[in-house]
Amino acid sequence: MTLRHALAAHPLGLGLLLGLLLGATPALAAGRVPYGGELRLAHTGSAEQAGDPTFSDSPVEATLFSFQSRPVCRLDASGTAHLAIARDVSRSMAQTVRITLPSLSVATTLARSWARLAGPEAPSPYRALLFPIRGEARQLSSSGAMVELPLSFPWPDMERAICHPSLALPLTTVAPSLGPFAATASKGLLEARLGYPEGRPYLDRVLLTATDERGLARMWTARQVQLELGVLPEAGVLTGPALYATYLAFSPRRVPADFRQAFESAMDREDLTRLFVRAPAVPMPHLLPPALLPQAPARPRQGAPSAAGTRIVTLLYDAASEDQRAVAERIQVKLHERGYKVALEPLQRTVLRARWARGDFDLMLQSLLLPPLPGPALAVVLDAAGRKDLLGVELPLIGGVADPNARDARARERALALAPTVPILPLFAQALGIRAAPELGGLVLDAQGLPVLDGVYLLPAEPARAGAPR
Amino acid sequence: MTVSPALATLLLATLAAEPPSPAPAGPPSVERLAQWVTEDVRARDPEPPVAVHLSGVSPELRRAVATLLASRLAAAKLGPVVVEAPSPEAAESAARELGARSLVRLTISVQNGALTASGDLLGTWVNFWSGRTPSRPSTPAAALAHAVPADAGALALAALPSQASSSTPLAVTTGPRPVRLMGAVLIRLEQIPAALAAGDLDGDGKDEVAVLTERAVSVFADDGRILARREMEGLPLNPAPPREPFGVVAVIPQPARLAAWSARYAHGEVLVFDRAKSTLRPIGPLDTAALGANERATFTSGQTTFTPEVRLGEGRILSVPAPFTSASIVLPRMLFVHPDGTASLYPRATTPPVHLQGLGAGSALGDLDGDGTPELITTAPELFPAPDVVRVYALTGDDPTSHAVLWQSALPAGRAIQVVTADLDKDYQREVLVGLWHPDGTGEVFLMRQGAP
Repeated sequence: MTLRHALAAHPLGLGLLLGLLLGATPALAAGRVPYGGELRLAHTGSAEQAGDPTFSDSPVEATLFSFQSRPVCRLDASGTAHLAIARDVSRSMAQTVRITLPSLSVATTLARSWARLAGPEAPSPYRALLFPIRGEARQLSSSGAMVELPLSFPWPDMERAICHPSLALPLTTVAPSLGPFAATASKGLLEARLGYPEGRPYLDRVLLTATDERGLARMWTARQVQLELGVLPEAGVLTGPALYATYLAFSPRRVPADFRQAFESAMDREDLTRLFVRAPAVPMPHLLPPALLPQAPARPRQGAPSAAGTRIVTLLYDAASEDQRAVAERIQVKLHERGYKVALEPLQRTVLRARWARGDFDLMLQSLLLPPLPGPALAVVLDAAGRKDLLGVELPLIGGVADPNARDARARERALALAPTVPILPLFAQALGIRAAPELGGLVLDAQGLPVLDGVYLLPAEPARAGAPR
Repeated sequence: MTVSPALATLLLATLAAEPPSPAPAGPPSVERLAQWVTEDVRARDPEPPVAVHLSGVSPELRRAVATLLASRLAAAKLGPVVVEAPSPEAAESAARELGARSLVRLTISVQNGALTASGDLLGTWVNFWSGRTPSRPSTPAAALAHAVPADAGALALAALPSQASSSTPLAVTTGPRPVRLMGAVLIRLEQIPAALAAGDLDGDGKDEVAVLTERAVSVFADDGRILARREMEGLPLNPAPPREPFGVVAVIPQPARLAAWSARYAHGEVLVFDRAKSTLRPIGPLDTAALGANERATFTSGQTTFTPEVRLGEGRILSVPAPFTSASIVLPRMLFVHPDGTASLYPRATTPPVHLQGLGAGSALGDLDGDGTPELITTAPELFPAPDVVRVYALTGDDPTSHAVLWQSALPAGRAIQVVTADLDKDYQREVLVGLWHPDGTGEVFLMRQGAP
């Protein structure tokens, strides 16, 4: 039920309640966080809402998707899990994670969407997050309002891995909103949803405006918006950990054996990140981003392989991503110096994913929103590299380590060890740049570096104290 | 009979040589303070006997600290002697007359939730060649300052003595007394409190403290001990919960029951407190929010407020001007604090409300000065006050906040969201209980007792 429906259904009538809501527009606070008001938000994402969370994985798109749907839980900045859609997540047995959801229909939707993600119908590297579930979650089903996840091997990170945004409930015409906000008939206008399990947001409404970087600057200067997503880093801009990682996957069957050497000798990640990628971004020399692998030594630049004539390859990339286009063109230029003639082929995300699932590519740019946990992040990267076969070997070794810090260290070790053997080349990792007006309170980032906007409120004006002159 | 200084010294030295007795007993905060002071004094290596002079407003607290401190100094073989003197200055000559070679002078107070001792340590030995001039030795000489978090026991010692007989309520026999409050943490909570209430649940004449958190309700004794706890996890969930812990808890009299409802759940429970079994036994569901013994309200869906209709005891509906986030009812007066920091104060249900401004959600009515008329107790209206404060105003018929504040003091760090009053110790004086929220998700109940800080 959204606010609008609640208003319509309330016995006091729409007029009185509208008056009450207007009265609740923040002015003073009485010590409690105030409800009400409208947040005007501009972003560099798409104006159209995607229904599949696995395609809404850029930091801006994931944030926009989180308005209307959430995973079962979310990780706060310290990595602690908090329930979001779920009523409870527990271990009914040592090897079984039990998720209790608000209703039977939500449980069914979740089980179906995860089973679909794990199956051949909608392949995505994020399916690796569900790999530890018996049968790789393909036979997942709900029982009443519960979904049980029987694990094939010890995987202590399961409860936190399922908090990943790609595992959010999909938006369908039957269930148009399961998150803190719901779409309205007005384009870009969302309103608070009363039935959100974490509690309705403090804000009444959010007005979304899609624009580009210049539009963001213009709207900010004109004070037309209070929050902007996707801004460049500068003073006053909030950024989280850079976990949106972009890789170049290659098919060992289709490119020469010395391709990795040719690429590493030709590409300078520092230059690529500084000149061709939207900031905030960091070069990524290893399989995991620096946010997950901070202490790893830099890899020495490799020498160029010996010349062996012209090789023709095709590089697939996401047509909707400006960053991928710029990076693809740079790779085209740099590999030309190593004797590669690179044809560029922009594709839609769905087609790109399908080609990835079939292994039908020479080179492919892949951008992934990695979970803030080394083990699950490595699982996603290995699957993206086409080495799903490694998951059954590597994950039990990582999951067998009970101590969380030691487990993370093991995952990092394996990431370093596996990097030269898997057909994927790390390029850079990006974060989300957020600019907020001073009148916004309660803005925090989660462990993914994404803002939790249902906790945002409009700060009240400083009230007169009791006894102060009127 | 007079005792010569030399004999007194010998006597004290003999006492100091006695084997240590069992550890002295007292409120934990007083014990800790005595321990800290003893360690500090010992570190200065004063020559025994050591005289101790304590000043402070509360004689009971002064004597309690003196007793525990003397005991610890004795255990440290420092031959303590407690000196009674009209001032710290006069204590120096009094200590010399008793033959003490060192003197500890401390002022004991309770302020801002801390029990503090501050003063000095000095030598009282006078050089023979000084003649009649009371010169001081170079050692020992130290400034002493210690503070420990005060507890309910320290507050009870520091409290003003009751001015009423045990059989006669203060409000009937005496006029108003000045309001002076000093505070200490009574209860530390792992979760922030959603609501507070106080009332006599077991019929012993003393109020118990009921604390509602998001998922449980607990009853505490006057010293902060938990007496009973009831988890509410089995209740059906509210389909439109608020984001913050919110709810109501109230003591319903005749017979005493507890009405508790966290807005996380679809309904609340009426509970009976069984002190012998340390349980809260549910006796029925609660489908309206109990603001008082007979007054009922309804939660606003998804928010931390109540809808502006209150059902009164006689079945009449009172239409409050706006939704309210807290209420306090001391019949015939009723106070409703609105989310914007304004409030509606009804002198009686049938009269129009007095509109107030600048009140915090932590506001309550309670008779603190014993004149039979409640005062308005309120906290800061800011969202994140630093620090939050408690202010007390007299109810005068018009806007009480337009008159001078009767009492004002700062609270420990945190947001004060709930305030109730209680008589925890059957002394016919009402204490103030404040529910504090900390940023890390923990909370505490801060007790403010009447007394002289």
